[in-house]
Amino acid sequence: MALLHVSNLHVQYKETIAVDNISFSADQGEIVGFIGADGAGKSSLFHAIAGVVPFSGEISYHNYTYHSPKEAEKIKPYLGLMPQGLGLVLYPELSVKEHLEFFIDIRNLKKDKALQQYTEELLHMAGLAKFTDRLAKHLSGGMKQKLSLICTLVHRPQLLILDEPTTGVDPVSRRELWEILQHQKEHSLTLFSTAYMDEAQRMDRVHLMHEAKVIAQGTPDSLIQSAKPYTYEGVYECDTCISFQNRTYALSTLPMPHAKPTLESLFFINALQHNAIPPKISIAPRSKPLDIPPIVMEAKGLTKRFGDFVADDHIDMQLQRGEILGLLGANGAGKTTFIKMLLGLYPIDEGDLYLLGKKISSAKDREDLKSKIGYMSQNFALYKDMSIKENLLYFANLHHIPLSIALTKIDELASSLGFAKYLHSLPKDLPLGINQRFSLAAAILHEPVVLFLDEPTSGVDTIARAQFWDLLHQLKNRWQISILITTHYMSEANFCDRVVVLKSGKKIVDERVDKLFEQYPWAKSFEDIFFYLYQKEKT
Amino acid sequence: MRIGAIKAYLLKEFKELIRSRLIILIYLVPTMILLLFGYGIRLEVKHTRLVVVDEDRSTLSMKLLQNFTHSKYFQILYTTTSYQDALHKIKQAKADVILIIPADFEKNLFHTHKASLAIFIDGAFPLRAMTMQGYVEGALINAMEDFAQKYNIAMHHIAIVQRNLFNQAMRDENAIVPGLIGLVLLVAPALLAALLIVKEKEYGTIFNFYSSPLTKSEFLIAKLLPVFLLHSLNIFILFLWSTYLFVVPFRGSFWLYWLSSEIYILISLSIGLLVSIITNRQIVAVVLTLIITIIPGFLYSGILMPISSMQGESYIEAHLFPIMYYNQIAYDTFLIGQGLASQKNLLYLGILILYSIILLTLGSLLMKKGMR
Repeated sequence: MALLHVSNLHVQYKETIAVDNISFSADQGEIVGFIGADGAGKSSLFHAIAGVVPFSGEISYHNYTYHSPKEAEKIKPYLGLMPQGLGLVLYPELSVKEHLEFFIDIRNLKKDKALQQYTEELLHMAGLAKFTDRLAKHLSGGMKQKLSLICTLVHRPQLLILDEPTTGVDPVSRRELWEILQHQKEHSLTLFSTAYMDEAQRMDRVHLMHEAKVIAQGTPDSLIQSAKPYTYEGVYECDTCISFQNRTYALSTLPMPHAKPTLESLFFINALQHNAIPPKISIAPRSKPLDIPPIVMEAKGLTKRFGDFVADDHIDMQLQRGEILGLLGANGAGKTTFIKMLLGLYPIDEGDLYLLGKKISSAKDREDLKSKIGYMSQNFALYKDMSIKENLLYFANLHHIPLSIALTKIDELASSLGFAKYLHSLPKDLPLGINQRFSLAAAILHEPVVLFLDEPTSGVDTIARAQFWDLLHQLKNRWQISILITTHYMSEANFCDRVVVLKSGKKIVDERVDKLFEQYPWAKSFEDIFFYLYQKEKT
Repeated sequence: MRIGAIKAYLLKEFKELIRSRLIILIYLVPTMILLLFGYGIRLEVKHTRLVVVDEDRSTLSMKLLQNFTHSKYFQILYTTTSYQDALHKIKQAKADVILIIPADFEKNLFHTHKASLAIFIDGAFPLRAMTMQGYVEGALINAMEDFAQKYNIAMHHIAIVQRNLFNQAMRDENAIVPGLIGLVLLVAPALLAALLIVKEKEYGTIFNFYSSPLTKSEFLIAKLLPVFLLHSLNIFILFLWSTYLFVVPFRGSFWLYWLSSEIYILISLSIGLLVSIITNRQIVAVVLTLIITIIPGFLYSGILMPISSMQGESYIEAHLFPIMYYNQIAYDTFLIGQGLASQKNLLYLGILILYSIILLTLGSLLMKKGMR
C-alpha cells in the first residue's frame, strides 16, 4: 500500500466546491506536482491533506486513516506544511537563527549534535549561514522562502506539503530551493504545487487540476506526449484553436505539422476541451498618432544608495522606441529600485535620467511627462472595494481624461482586453489573471508612450500570462510603445527584444535576446544563458 | 502538555512584543487613560465666577458675601448695583452666577422674618449648573444659620444637612480613579489578547500552529499567559498612580484588590480570545474589542451614573457586564475597606470567578485548530 492514499476527497466552502472527488496515492521518495490555474483547488487540496480544513472523504497516511482535522492531529508530527505566500510562516521580528530555534522547540526535538549539524547544513544550503542574525523582515523574498522551507524541514517531515513555494521567487533562489528539496527527497513524500512549468518538468508525477478536479495525471513526459496530437507548428486562424508563440493548439486536425509540446501546452488544450477559449485580444490603434523620439528613456550612471547599501550602482540603460526590454535579476538585485527611480518614487542619488529626450532634474519636469508614462506595480494597485469600472474611472480621472471619452475608452479596452463581462465585479472576487489585465488597462488608459511593468506576471496562470504577452506585443506593434518589464519567469525573456541583467546593483548583461542565443548556441533555454552569465560574474 | 513548545512560543511572544515596541503601548496606554480621564473628568466646579448685585449694602449682606469670598469654590468677580451689567457678564460667558441681594433685605428679615434673594445661574451645562446651585445654596444656608444663632432669631426654614459618605472631601479623584482602573483592566488585556492571536491569522504564521502537533490548550497558554503576566504588572502600576499621584485613600485589603484584579484580567483576556475567534484582521479585532469593552466599561461602571439609579434595560445591562462587579470591589478596597466582611463583596467576587471560568471555557471550546 502506498504511503499516502487520498480517496474521494471533497472540500466545500459554503456554496463553492473547492475540491471535487479527488483520489490519488503517492509514495516515499516521490515529488508529486500539482499544477493548474489559480482557483483550481490546489491549496484547498493541500489544506485538507494537512488537516487544516474540514473535508469529506478519506485520507490515509502510513495506514492511519483520517476523516477530519481532529483525526489528522495524529499525523502532525510527521507533517511539514508551507502555505502559499511569501514568508507567510515567518515572524517579521525574529532573526533567522531564532526561527530555527523556535521551530525546533515547537516540534520538541532533541537538541543533540546531529540536529545541530543538520540545521547548519540546512542554513548552508539555503545560503543563509551568513545571515543568522538578520531579522526576517529584512530578508528578500527569495531568502524568506528559503528560510520558510528550512524551518519546515527542520523536524525532517515525512510528508512535506509545499504550496507554491516558488511563486514570486527569483530564478537564483528557486534553483537553491530545489537543491534543498532534492537533497532530502529520499526521506519523505513531497507534494508540490507550482506555476513554473520548468519545475513541474522535474517532478516524478504531475496532476493537472481544473475547477476542483484532477483532469490529467502522469509523469511529465507522458503528459507532454498526450498533448502532441493537438499541438501544431505555426500560426493558424480559426475559431476553435488557440495560437501562441508560433504554436497552434486545436482539437480538430489542422493542415500543418505537429510541434513538440511542453507542459504549458496542457493548459491550452485543457481550455479547448472545456470550451473555454480565451477571447481574442486586439488593441485598437492610438486615438491620436504621436511623434515619438527614437530613444524613449536613457539612464546614465543612475545610482541609489540606502545608507551604506548601494541598491543600484552606476547603471546605464537605453530604452528604444517600440522595444520590449526585460529587466532580470535575483530578488534584491535592484530592479524595483531602478524602476522606482525612473518613476520618481525614489530620488536619484547620482547620474542623469532622460525621458523622451528631456533631462529630468526636477519634479516639474516629471509632471509634464506624467501623461506619457504608464506604470503597473508588483501588487496591482487596485481599490478592492470598488468595481473594475469604478477603478478605471478613477484612474481616468487622475489623468484628467474627460468623462465621456473615458467611458467609451473603458468599454473599448474592456472588450479588446477581454474583461467586459467583469466590469461590474469587485477585483477581490476575480482571478488574478483578470485583475492583471485590467491593471494593465488602467496603466494604458491615457495612451502612454512608455510602460514600466514590475513583475506583472507573478502568480498568474499560464493562459493568462500568454494572453498578457500577446497584449504587450500588440501594444508594441500598434502603438509603438516601449516597455520595460521585470519578471522571474526566465521563459518570458524569450518574448523580450533585449534583456538587461542586474546583479547586486550592477549591470552584468545588456544584449539582444537573439544575439545571446547566437553567442551561446549550446543553451537549451534562456535560463541556461542566465545562469551561465550570472555565475560567471561571481568568479 | 509539552513545556518546551510552550516555552518556545512564550519566548517568541516576548521577543516580538519588545522588538515591535508594542510593549511600550502595553504600559503607556493604561497609564495614559488613567491620567487623561483622571485629570480630565471634573464633576466638581471650583472658582465659580460670581457677580454680586448688592442693593442692600447692609451688615447682613456683607456677612453673607464674606462666606463666598473665603471659599475655594467661589471667586467674586466684583460687586455692582446694576442688574443689566451683571446679566451682560453672563451673556459674555465671563461670569457663571449672579447673586442679587435686594434693597431692604436686612430690614425685611428683622421685621417680618421673611426675605428673599435671587440667584441666576448660567444653565448652558445643566450638570454644572446644578452643582453650582448646590454650592450657592449651601453657602447661603451656612451664612443664615450663623446669623440666626448670633441674633437668636428663629429660622423657619428646613436646614438640609448634606454629608457625602466615604468621600467627605468630595474629591473627584476618589470617585473616578478606582472606576478607571476597572475600565483600563477591561480594555487593555482584551485588546492585547485579541491582537496576539489575530496577528498570526492575518500574517499566516497561524499555520505553524495548525500544522504542528501543538495542542489547542498549549497554544492558548502560549498566547494568553504573556497577556496575563504583562497586565498583572499594570495592577500595581495603576495602584501606585492612584494612591500617590491622585492621592486616593486606600482603606481595604490590598490582597483582595490584587486577587479580584487578576480574576478580572482573566475575564478581559477571554473577551479578547472570543473576539479573535470571529475576526481575521487586526484592525477589525481592535475596533470590535474597543466597542465591546469601552462602552460598557464606561457607561455601566458607575463612574458617570450610579447603578442603583439606573432603570429597566440599563439596570439589567449593567448587571450583565463584569465591570460593575469589579468596580464594587475596587471602590470598596479604596474608599470603604469592608472587604470580604461584606456579603455583597463576597458575592461579587464569586460572580467574577464564575464569569472568568465561563468565558475562558467558552473561548477555548469555540476556538478551532484549523481554518474556518
